[in-house]
Amino acid sequence: MNRTTFSFFVGPSVFIMLALMTLPLLASIVLGLHFITFRNLDAPQWIGLQNYQEVLADPEFWDSLEFTLLFIAITVPLRIVLGLLFALLLDQITRFRGVFIAAALVPFVMTPVVGTLIFRDMFDRGGPYWYWMQQLFDYRLFMNSTTVPLLIIFHSIWTATPFAMIVLFAGLQTLPQESLEAARVDGASWSQQLWHVALPHLRSLFVFIALISIMDAYRVFDSVFVLTQQNPIFDAETIMYYNFQVAMSFGRLGKANAMSVLTVIGIFVVLVPFLVMTYREQTEEG
Amino acid sequence: MTRTNNPLARLVMYAVLALFTVYNVLPFCWTILNSLKLPKDANSRQPRFLFSPTGDNYAELWLNISPAEFAPYGLALVLILFALVVIALSARRIPAPNSLVYLGVIAAGVAVALALPRLINTAEFYDYLINSVIVTIGTLAVSLSIGALAGYGLARFRHVVSVYILVLALAFRSLPSLALVLPFYYLGQLSGLYDTHILLIFCLVAVNQPFTIWMLRSFFMEIPREIEEAAMIDGAGRLRSFISVIVPIMWPGIITTGLFTLLLAYNDFLLARILTQINWTLPVGIAQWTGGEDPGHITLAAAASVSTTLPILFVIIFFQKYLIRGLASGAVKG
Repeated sequence: MNRTTFSFFVGPSVFIMLALMTLPLLASIVLGLHFITFRNLDAPQWIGLQNYQEVLADPEFWDSLEFTLLFIAITVPLRIVLGLLFALLLDQITRFRGVFIAAALVPFVMTPVVGTLIFRDMFDRGGPYWYWMQQLFDYRLFMNSTTVPLLIIFHSIWTATPFAMIVLFAGLQTLPQESLEAARVDGASWSQQLWHVALPHLRSLFVFIALISIMDAYRVFDSVFVLTQQNPIFDAETIMYYNFQVAMSFGRLGKANAMSVLTVIGIFVVLVPFLVMTYREQTEEG
Repeated sequence: MTRTNNPLARLVMYAVLALFTVYNVLPFCWTILNSLKLPKDANSRQPRFLFSPTGDNYAELWLNISPAEFAPYGLALVLILFALVVIALSARRIPAPNSLVYLGVIAAGVAVALALPRLINTAEFYDYLINSVIVTIGTLAVSLSIGALAGYGLARFRHVVSVYILVLALAFRSLPSLALVLPFYYLGQLSGLYDTHILLIFCLVAVNQPFTIWMLRSFFMEIPREIEEAAMIDGAGRLRSFISVIVPIMWPGIITTGLFTLLLAYNDFLLARILTQINWTLPVGIAQWTGGEDPGHITLAAAASVSTTLPILFVIIFFQKYLIRGLASGAVKG
């Protein structure tokens, strides 16, 4: 493919992104260098890197970063492993596939505005999970600094596994049949087919899912907002939640924008291995 | 891959999938139950699984008139929809081109949907639904067409420029949604397009484009180059070989991407909240019942959530057939 055809193919998409997303990105950078609150919106005061110094010296920022990284380290591998597991199971069965797929998508389809709320109510007093735990195991679930972070993790698995599952299932259906046939003729077992044919073939899908999952996990907000009910005692603040507080509760818009820029940088740092892989994929002659 | 024939293993597989399914759908089932409850049942200290169901929440959500007044119209509506579905399903037996029949059915459906508020007094929620449908279809059309082109271009043009574009897309996507609020509001006011569908559509496309091109790129990467090279040797240009050879093979990937784009657009709350004043979409409409202490809001929010989710579930169940069939045929060809 030559340069002209390439720009023709990529042009519209790049144009629309640049046209609409550059302003927010630049605005975050510029506003992050100013002291702005809701009171001096029209007259921001230039303070250079002071916002960044303040953020980096803020113990609450580091606490929230720690919880966010822990959250990523737990949920992202779980999402991918469970997604692969269920995709492989779906690939094995023939009956009721449609039912399983549609059902797996329900949490993803459910309006998030309500879905998170219902999820909490299920575990809260008067909800079915709470009730069954009490009846069956005589366990009374209290919302505390152990259970709330666990619920946030459960919620993330509940909403995000279907995504990994569907993508990997679709990928499994495009496996090169000749390679599988060759492997079968050579007497390869199912696990050998998986390891030597399927997984390498799905490589770029794994990278894609990991990228998206890490980014979304880094920016998790809704579930934290709803499940903690904005109560700090649960010790489950994520970066985005703290960012929201800085902007809305403390009114420090400049500092919040500095945090947004740091978030972009932070995500890129976490993503470095995947970026290197993509770079190799893109530049290798194929 | 090889399928196991061991009956015990198969049983275990179905059991695991069934458990997963229960975990997935239970909250939605609970929402359905809540939507049929009176506020006092929904707010009780013990969960109530048995109660006398009521349709009040749905009536309040959709109608400004009493359900009794609506009954004859409702019956007519059900009959019309049933007739349209029957016509669409028996398209093959009608002595007219299939596409013409489908277009006619769709046009009739749109006409009914638009005429409805004039005939009966529907509540605002109905307008939110219409707005959501317009915005979602618009986003889907623009996003997939430009995204598929870009994803294909990126998968085939092995050059550092592609890496720059992909990384830039990631930078855009990793921007916290909070950072979008002020600039987008400002853009809306500046362009004079504030509170229009078109602005919301383009902002949703821009926000989802990184996801779309990354996802389509990874699907296109899996297609061997020889396939379109063969078409190009036959004299077809890039664009023609893309449309006539690659898209048909890759449409499982395109449908999968489309599904997630559809969900992102349909469920988006923040952008729709910032960019609209009266032309609310469904999630923005629902959000008015999710805060606050009013006990009646729980059941209303549940009814709204069920009303919002069901159409999409039907779309998925409908496309399911095509999804699996497409996936299966793609595997045979690939």
